[in-house]
Amino acid sequence: MACWYKEADKVGDIIISSRVRLARNLSDLPFPRRMNDDMFIQLKARVKKAIDEIAATGDLKLKFIEMNAVPENEINAMVERHVISPDFARNYHDRAIAISDDESVSVMIGEEDHIRIQVIYGGMALDKAYELADCLDTALNEKLGFAYDNQLGFLTECPTNIGTGLRASVMLHLPVCESSGQIAAVSDAAGKIGLTVRGMYGEGSKAGASLYQISNQITLGISEENAISNLKVIAEQIVDREKAARASLDIKELEDAVFRAYGTLKYARLLNSEEFMKLISMIKLGINMGIIEKDTIRPIELLIIAQPGMLQKSFSVMSPRERDEARAEMVRNMI
Amino acid sequence: MLCQKCGKNNATTHIKTVINGKVTEQSLCGYCAAKQGYTGFSAGPISNILASMLGQTIQVSAGISSHSCGCCGATFADVAETGKVGCAECYREFGAELLPYLKRIHGGVRHTGKVPGTKQLVIKEETGSVSELKAKLASLVAAEKYEEAAVVRDEIKKMEGK
Ligand SMILES: [Zn+2]
Ligand SMILES: [Zn+2]
Repeated sequence: MACWYKEADKVGDIIISSRVRLARNLSDLPFPRRMNDDMFIQLKARVKKAIDEIAATGDLKLKFIEMNAVPENEINAMVERHVISPDFARNYHDRAIAISDDESVSVMIGEEDHIRIQVIYGGMALDKAYELADCLDTALNEKLGFAYDNQLGFLTECPTNIGTGLRASVMLHLPVCESSGQIAAVSDAAGKIGLTVRGMYGEGSKAGASLYQISNQITLGISEENAISNLKVIAEQIVDREKAARASLDIKELEDAVFRAYGTLKYARLLNSEEFMKLISMIKLGINMGIIEKDTIRPIELLIIAQPGMLQKSFSVMSPRERDEARAEMVRNMI
Repeated sequence: MLCQKCGKNNATTHIKTVINGKVTEQSLCGYCAAKQGYTGFSAGPISNILASMLGQTIQVSAGISSHSCGCCGATFADVAETGKVGCAECYREFGAELLPYLKRIHGGVRHTGKVPGTKQLVIKEETGSVSELKAKLASLVAAEKYEEAAVVRDEIKKMEGK
């Protein structure tokens, strides 16, 4: 399978991607904040052994990477591809990651918890993502023995994750809800059943590409299935709201805006991040509204590979100005 | 109500300290509370959302200095200050202190999700021994997962019948 952002351009419409994360800890080591160097070494060795054994059965092959062997540029790029969390990147030296070829499945080792299992797919694929995370969790638990309590469930370093240890999220593209001021209402509706909405790439502001992430917050007293089904219900409601808002747009004005965005992206020589995000969001809307043909441009893939860390990785270290130039050149070549 | 320390800002944090059975209460603004180390579970990014949920009431229990986790050495003061728990054993050691927080964060205090080992989907196909299955049955019943428990019960019957 292709990585999530390539998949998102094929199958994603308003729902861009789906992600599931499980927080787990070994029962016989203190949580990472209270671990010493030897314990980190032991943790990584034990998880690596378990991952290798699982790979040997042929079910799921994950590559084990020591983070201190990864160059700084690539660390930032991994955050931008949603492979590792910003927290994991901030203090990565003792940490390791086991990851599938397409980066859809990963196991972060030594973040806030000993283990964070993550599965990320393009489009609406929460069930499929959870199913795989669940299988991997079962397999790892057999070999590692996770901390679990009959009353409290899976035990985690932060009490906000205790119970299922599950954080499920979907990323949505909501340009028209955003421009018509409906994000607060969306956020309120989600909040009522324990979900939160936050802006991606520029917190809730117009600076981003109108991408929002909804995720569950409650992990104790709710089953994985119910948490995921709540999230799906709300995601669908938000999709309907965005569709209704899109239906009321003036088509001529929209076409004009979409083609202007297209023209700028095709001919610009300098593209700063903010302008680029706005334009790419317009292109994404144009594709979903049938104004631009789907295969002429891949907005989500572009969005990811034109992030600063990804650009720096492809074109070596650059000043902001050189980056804007490289971004414009790369976008031109991909249209 | 104004902060009892600076008298300028609104008091948002109410701290109840119990030392040798003597209760003292203090109402502080967020800034003064943080300065005194009472950040509680409002530390950390996810916890920002929680701060309002928690009502920022922090209760420091009696005898914190003598009462520490036998496994990792954390005291409840460490846990309250960082908002992070030291090890799995801490949840047992500080259960009484933590339960009210968990209830405020999550609404419930009883896990109703996955029980380890209930889904044997990949890798191995072996079924556990009867005693393993009985332990599993007990944990399923404890988690009020009666449907799955019924399946395990039937499995035990089948194995014992053999
Ligand atoms: Zn004050
Ligand atoms: Zn402990």
